[in-house]
Amino acid sequence: MRPFAFDTATDSGAAIAIHGGDDRRAYIAGGTTLIDLVKLDVMRPAALIDVSRLPLAEVERLDDGRLRIGAAVTNSELAHHPLVREHYPLLAQAILAGASTQIRNMATTAGNVMQRTRCPYYRDAAAACNRREPGSGCDALHGINRMHAVLGVSEQCIATHPSDMCVALAALGATLTLEGPEGRREIAFNDFHRLPAEHPEIEHELAPGELITHVTLDTPLVGGGAAYLKLRDRASYEFALASAGAVVALEGEVISDVRLALGGVATKPWRAVEAERALDGQPAVASSFEVAADAALQDAVPREHNAFKIPLARQAIVRALRDATARAGTTTTTRGNQG
Amino acid sequence: MMDHSDAPPQDADALTVTLTVNGETHRLTLAPNVVLLDALRDRLGLTGTKKGCDHGQCGACTVHVDGRAINSCLRLAAMCEGRAITTVEGLARDGALHPVQQAFLDQDAYQCGFCTSGQMMSAAALLDDGRIGDSDAEIREAMSGNLCRCGAYKNILAAIRQAESEARGRGGDA
Amino acid sequence: MTTQTIGQRTPRVDGEFKLTGRADYAVDHSAPGMLIGYPVPASIAHGTLAGLDLETARAMPGVVDIFHHGHFPTLARSPNSMAQQNVVSEVRLPFEDTRIYYDGQLVALVVAETFEQARAAAHAVRAEYHEEAGAISGLLHTDRDGEWQAGQARSRGEPREAWEQSPVRIDRTYTIAAESHVPMEVHATLAEWRDGRLRVHESSQGVLFQRKAMARIFDIAEEDVEVVSHYIGSGFGNKLFMWPHAVATAAAAREVGRPVRTVMPRQQDMATTGNRPASRQRLRLAADEAGRLTAIRHDSTTETSPVHTHVDAVGSATPSLYACDNVAVGQRLVTVNHGTPCPMRGPGEVSGLFALECAMDELAGELGIDPLDLRRRNHAERDPGKDLPWSSKHLDACYDNAAARFGWSRREPGIGAMRDGDEILGWGMASCTWFAGRQPCAARVELHADGHVTAACGTQDIGTGTYTVVAQTVAELTGVPLSRIEVRLGESSLPAGPLSGGSMATATTLPAVAAATRQALDALKEVATGDGGAFAGVAGESLGVEQGTLTDGGGRRVGFAEVLEGLRLASVTGDGQAAPGDEKTRYSFRSFGAHFVEVRWDPGISRLRVSRVVSDFDIGRAINPATARNQVEGSIVMGIGMALLEGLDYDPRDARLVNNNYADYLIPTHADMPEIDVELLDHPDFAFNEFGARGVGEIGLTGIAAAIANAVYHATGKRLRDLPIRLEHLLVE
Repeated sequence: MRPFAFDTATDSGAAIAIHGGDDRRAYIAGGTTLIDLVKLDVMRPAALIDVSRLPLAEVERLDDGRLRIGAAVTNSELAHHPLVREHYPLLAQAILAGASTQIRNMATTAGNVMQRTRCPYYRDAAAACNRREPGSGCDALHGINRMHAVLGVSEQCIATHPSDMCVALAALGATLTLEGPEGRREIAFNDFHRLPAEHPEIEHELAPGELITHVTLDTPLVGGGAAYLKLRDRASYEFALASAGAVVALEGEVISDVRLALGGVATKPWRAVEAERALDGQPAVASSFEVAADAALQDAVPREHNAFKIPLARQAIVRALRDATARAGTTTTTRGNQG
Repeated sequence: MMDHSDAPPQDADALTVTLTVNGETHRLTLAPNVVLLDALRDRLGLTGTKKGCDHGQCGACTVHVDGRAINSCLRLAAMCEGRAITTVEGLARDGALHPVQQAFLDQDAYQCGFCTSGQMMSAAALLDDGRIGDSDAEIREAMSGNLCRCGAYKNILAAIRQAESEARGRGGDA
Repeated sequence: MTTQTIGQRTPRVDGEFKLTGRADYAVDHSAPGMLIGYPVPASIAHGTLAGLDLETARAMPGVVDIFHHGHFPTLARSPNSMAQQNVVSEVRLPFEDTRIYYDGQLVALVVAETFEQARAAAHAVRAEYHEEAGAISGLLHTDRDGEWQAGQARSRGEPREAWEQSPVRIDRTYTIAAESHVPMEVHATLAEWRDGRLRVHESSQGVLFQRKAMARIFDIAEEDVEVVSHYIGSGFGNKLFMWPHAVATAAAAREVGRPVRTVMPRQQDMATTGNRPASRQRLRLAADEAGRLTAIRHDSTTETSPVHTHVDAVGSATPSLYACDNVAVGQRLVTVNHGTPCPMRGPGEVSGLFALECAMDELAGELGIDPLDLRRRNHAERDPGKDLPWSSKHLDACYDNAAARFGWSRREPGIGAMRDGDEILGWGMASCTWFAGRQPCAARVELHADGHVTAACGTQDIGTGTYTVVAQTVAELTGVPLSRIEVRLGESSLPAGPLSGGSMATATTLPAVAAATRQALDALKEVATGDGGAFAGVAGESLGVEQGTLTDGGGRRVGFAEVLEGLRLASVTGDGQAAPGDEKTRYSFRSFGAHFVEVRWDPGISRLRVSRVVSDFDIGRAINPATARNQVEGSIVMGIGMALLEGLDYDPRDARLVNNNYADYLIPTHADMPEIDVELLDHPDFAFNEFGARGVGEIGLTGIAAAIANAVYHATGKRLRDLPIRLEHLLVE
């Protein structure tokens, strides 16, 4: 961990002013990604700006029915928040499937969105990694790549996006509010993370000095049943090998609306739009789920050690859809009762 | 092969940080890159909190900040100004072991003891956190951020159950 | 004997220290004027160090010195002799040459005022390498056969002929990936020189060995080295013998004239301070139609490093576990570009029993008989490997009890026959065994005038409960309560005690502590019956000991403290020694056990979890059933890691270690713990020592991976012979 300067900001304007658009400076809130990577000498900020005390710790329901989450709300607070538990159980399940109690107590909503890959070659300052050091190559392509992505990959980078929370955001639909030297703007969550393509070092749409201030969830699917299923080697405290987050709404036996996103298999939080399309109006039965799973993975690119992720992700999708469907009716009733 | 490197950073200015640990206030002059764990151990001599991995992967460094369990290895000391920090040294009160400590003793919920302060800090926070369910599965999941290579998990769970029933017996609020 | 503390479930006497944060581990020590050492690891595994650019690092704040090849004192190697007790984990000295043999090898040690400064400077050191092609990334990635190890070969009968002539045969190959010990406390050294004497705080399982090795390396008298390890955040074998960082730190401290503390970063610790080497094992088993073994041929290959020879004796239990007239064991060794392997919990036999006990399951399948029944049919009534009677063996009772509690008789033998909703249950079992060993040992016990008793021995408590069982022994013989007994361990200047390894510490230490206690009591009786004593004129041998008092049998009792105070004595001392005698020529000593495992397999989502383990062990007497059981339960958790999670991934292209941390090298979490039901039989082995204890640290890890793999086969029909078993090996598309 190289030396760096440190400043604390108490409002977003001050934070942005201190940052000044200098990309050697970084914001810090939970620190669970940043301090980890600075200790590994993978990130070498010249200055850190503490934004954990910004007044962004509220979770509130907007008049239009959406839920606005302050950037500094911790993952624990968000997962246990009554409004999230009631209206967005997928988000609560996904957050609680990630990391550990301690990390969830530290990590913030915006910090989770900004989480970096766990690719071991990215995390090793001596390895070749286009994401860390553009043009240096990718040691993962022909190295140990069991944990790596099969969707959204390029020949420059196959690093997996590690977040569970972001899988739920991708499925639920959300808008990020950004604030920066040029003012305030909004961007759809699913447009925020970039595919690696030719430039894996550009991970997202944040401009220099910009800060995420809020994440606003789309209105919940009426009558939707939710299931987040995370498949991994051990029972806890491990990143996903494959995960699927699904929300299913039914009309009778037929799927009237569905949201599906994948984790552990893609280079960004992965909304499975082809699968959603395949499910629309179909009976909520195993054969429909299997067709959708095939659609979701039709463009998957396996490498030496991660080919199993394709059938594994299929299984995650089919089971998550099954479980979400089973819960669909209950949710409708609950919502109805509570108006 | 040559390691890449950018220009050598200068040693940034030290900060004055006031830490409140186990109810006592300490004024420290620290480099900005000092994490809470190292400040506790190296500057305050509170070596009961352990460094197992230094990267938030094991839980040995667990302390409470404002009542919540966190990994002190991933928290800059400078960000703890004004927060109430509790370490294992602050668990016992008036010379009596905390119910979690007593339960760990009674249930032999440890072997080498190196992960133990972190285990107990997580257990104590868990018992005070009404949001976490009471089933074995939920407790085990909530405790999974604390690795124990000796594998004393069975006795750790028994100790949490003992401490929980004692707290209930005392009429302690959950 | 006046109390009954042996065999009782007493809380650990060091518990309060561990539970309040006061237990002093090596990393918790500091010294006035102390500097911090931070290692710089090699980032290649095979080649030479062409140059180090230290200019930037040297100029950084707080940097005092940077040691490396060319800037390091000339030292001598340790003779590395077990007989002389100066074994080291790696005979090569740090910075000895510019050759790079493995990833993470120490290429420099930065010494700076603070931890943050030392780490920052270490990151600023730029190393240039001539990397060479042809790094051997592991046994499982090379065509090399390796060198036969004549010392490991065992043979009896006509194994080749018997195998060829038998009606039922299997010939299978099993592999196990290299594993890491990953104790929660990394390796750490604090070295301090004063007037030519070296004092070291080390996280060590063998302070005596480190003292003797340091004395040879720095060419000073053993008396001028003190190694302290009061508490150790466990080791599982990788802290038995010291590693290069300790030598580098001690030398640096001498050069800069100030104490230096080096704590290994976890990533480098995993790469360079030992591993259980990968193994490949070929098992050929033959049986007659009645299921009696007619031949066992066990050929294995393990890894060592280019700088030190380590042989993991994989076949050592094979000649002894089952009755069989024709047995051959052989082993080869392949040199790979890894940090040097070392003993890891149950070294050799844990790996060997994975293969042997899986092969037994496969043979049972071939014969069409129940796997437990096959073990019973081949029960060894005496040790066929040594041709000696067992000192005490109750393996049959382990089978009976554990099988009954598990419900083995309800097992449906068909593959996938036992279902529960989405899940398929698999039931498997395996036998366990671990040799019982004992070493010479000395101890000192002092009875003090204030009523407390001290016991001292230069062994260590690595979490197994040594402090507690020593105190229990003293309490048993004196009747003094545990709260008045102070135990000192973990200092090399104390009477010579054993390594904390091989499950030998208890059986080795307690007889010496007992001898010292008796010596101290004899000394007390001598003064008590002498001039002015409380029992002046009474024959010493007529005095008894009860609850901290001397008694004359006629109703008169005088407390130890009163005896000493009356004579204005501060204390009396007993020095005791104990060593194994000729019992090894008359008996074979082994512990035994059995694991029964249930796994749950959900084929729809490829999820495999161990849900239930029931085990019984015959370990002689458990001095403290609580700490003994805890060790076995912990072994079961570790065995789940071995079977399903753990494996060091070395990049096949350059032999660099990829998963060098707790997030990528997976060990079981709390949520992975199954329902565990362990029973320890209580059959004291008095032929082994007066307390009947054989040790319990390792046996729980033997057999468990095989029992899991056998259960996986029962659930899935997939016979997986390579560890770890991962979901991609089971996934059904």
